[in-house]
Amino acid sequence: MDLVRHLYYFTVVAEERHFGNAAIRLGMAQPPLSQRIKRLEEELGARLFDRSARQVRLTEAGRLLLPEAREVVARVERLRELVRHGEARTLKVALPPDLGATAIAALVARFREESQGLRLAPAEMWTADQVGALSEGLIDVGVVRHPVTAPGLRFGQVLVQTPGVLLAETDPLTEGSSVHLQDLAGRELLLFPQEGEPGAHAETLSDCRRNGFVPVEVHHGIGLGLVLAGSAVAFGSEVSLPGVVWRPLLGSPLAWRVSTAWRVETPEVAAFAATAVRTLKESAGMTDEGAAPVRQVRRRPAMGFLA
Amino acid sequence: MNLEEVFRRAGVVGSLHAVDLDSGAEVSHLADEPVPTASVFKLPLLAAFARLADAGELDPRERVTVKERLPGDLGMGAMLDDVTMSLRDMAYLMIAVSDNASADVLAGRVGLERVNAMLDGFGLSATRVVHNCAGLLATVREDSGEEWPVVDPEILAKLRALDPAQSNRSTPRETTALLGLIWRDEAASPEQCAWMRRLLGLQVWPHRLSSGFPYDDVAVSGKTGTLPTLRAEAGVVEYPDGGRYAVAVFTRAFSPALNQPRADAVIGTAARMAVDHLRG
Repeated sequence: MDLVRHLYYFTVVAEERHFGNAAIRLGMAQPPLSQRIKRLEEELGARLFDRSARQVRLTEAGRLLLPEAREVVARVERLRELVRHGEARTLKVALPPDLGATAIAALVARFREESQGLRLAPAEMWTADQVGALSEGLIDVGVVRHPVTAPGLRFGQVLVQTPGVLLAETDPLTEGSSVHLQDLAGRELLLFPQEGEPGAHAETLSDCRRNGFVPVEVHHGIGLGLVLAGSAVAFGSEVSLPGVVWRPLLGSPLAWRVSTAWRVETPEVAAFAATAVRTLKESAGMTDEGAAPVRQVRRRPAMGFLA
Repeated sequence: MNLEEVFRRAGVVGSLHAVDLDSGAEVSHLADEPVPTASVFKLPLLAAFARLADAGELDPRERVTVKERLPGDLGMGAMLDDVTMSLRDMAYLMIAVSDNASADVLAGRVGLERVNAMLDGFGLSATRVVHNCAGLLATVREDSGEEWPVVDPEILAKLRALDPAQSNRSTPRETTALLGLIWRDEAASPEQCAWMRRLLGLQVWPHRLSSGFPYDDVAVSGKTGTLPTLRAEAGVVEYPDGGRYAVAVFTRAFSPALNQPRADAVIGTAARMAVDHLRG
């Protein structure tokens, strides 16, 4: 039997939880699909699906097999692709959409320059989507925001980005050279999507609260239209967009931790991870993790204990 | 930055000097005009005390029992019974709550002539201390023929305590210069300067300088000064990025009313404008 092909059928059924739907996705009839799954179960000597319920459920053995099967399928797919493209191998990379045009361009250009003969296929993806894409083998390596955890995920060196604030040029806060988080009180915030960046989203809002900024409303997205219109402020690196002014946040109260992530380490992935660290430091102003400032509280007697 | 307008809207005329303690960049508004210092005179008194402690001429830990004293509404002045306390803890009360009784005990130990000699040594010749607290109050009694507090505008106009030529005096610029010496460890030994900075950081009043910097990670140290129509504070503001700025603001209100929150708050507002300007 073609074990890899059978494993692929298995992953599709596991995702769909339904033989009929899986068959449609695979472009085949249901009976041969059921037969092939049965044959895979015989080959492995274990039942992979519990078919007694209305919905197909993975057995414990099936659950254990699923990530491994995905990896085998992805690796074999890569292997075929390598052969197909000959020398022109492709490294599929995902980057956060709000990393900034300059940083993305610098990263892609630098990697092309340093890794001749390797084609870079970059895509924009939020952290949560990258985790899924990595486990399915759709991408080889990503640049993710922490905190993030997923079984089998491995991370490169963690860098820290201390975002500033983007304001409409009509905002009176642009008069100062820097802005305190507390000064943003009463304003609405435009932040990356919660479902795309669940960890960093929660951490950013909690840091804002701790520093005296509770946004009246949180909008999700990356288009700076709301900032331009003066309806919201956003955090991020400096951008050159007429009508939008960037100011550093006083005391660097926010620290976004960023690193590369992968499941299968290849020399290409390692090379990309090294390039990413260097480029993000140079073009995106990121620093080593230890450099993140700690929150200071300066005591004043009028706010003292029981004062 | 229109400081004059900001002061006017708060019902006061004001003068200000702010200086970046590291770059020397400054903001001046009538910064060389002499002003009566009110309780800001306790700042040079503190520095002179610290220098005598350095010289071994007095022991800051010496415990003193105070019986008779200048009555007041703060610190030892408000207490009814004998108080035994170390000289340095009296210095704490003098700075943190502007306790006049403590200030006069220290002024007695230090001697006003030595405060002025120290100021001469620093080149701060526009700053003079000619009265202790009891002496200042005596001039008010003589000039007004009334007991404290005095609110009649005609009587206020006659008070020597409010005339820089006849009372304790300084200028905004010389006041920030003295703060700079304390913050750069040049007013006394580094140990004594650190102690003075600690006391100034324990300033209890939040309604003046400190109100302009409503941030948990910004430190504000200072010494207030208050007499009818006169409100002042001089201190140092320290930002989390390391920026530190000495600011002195002296105001005189048009109205003799004692309760004028806007006149207190404008000290913070003006200081904030100056510091924002220095920070670019």
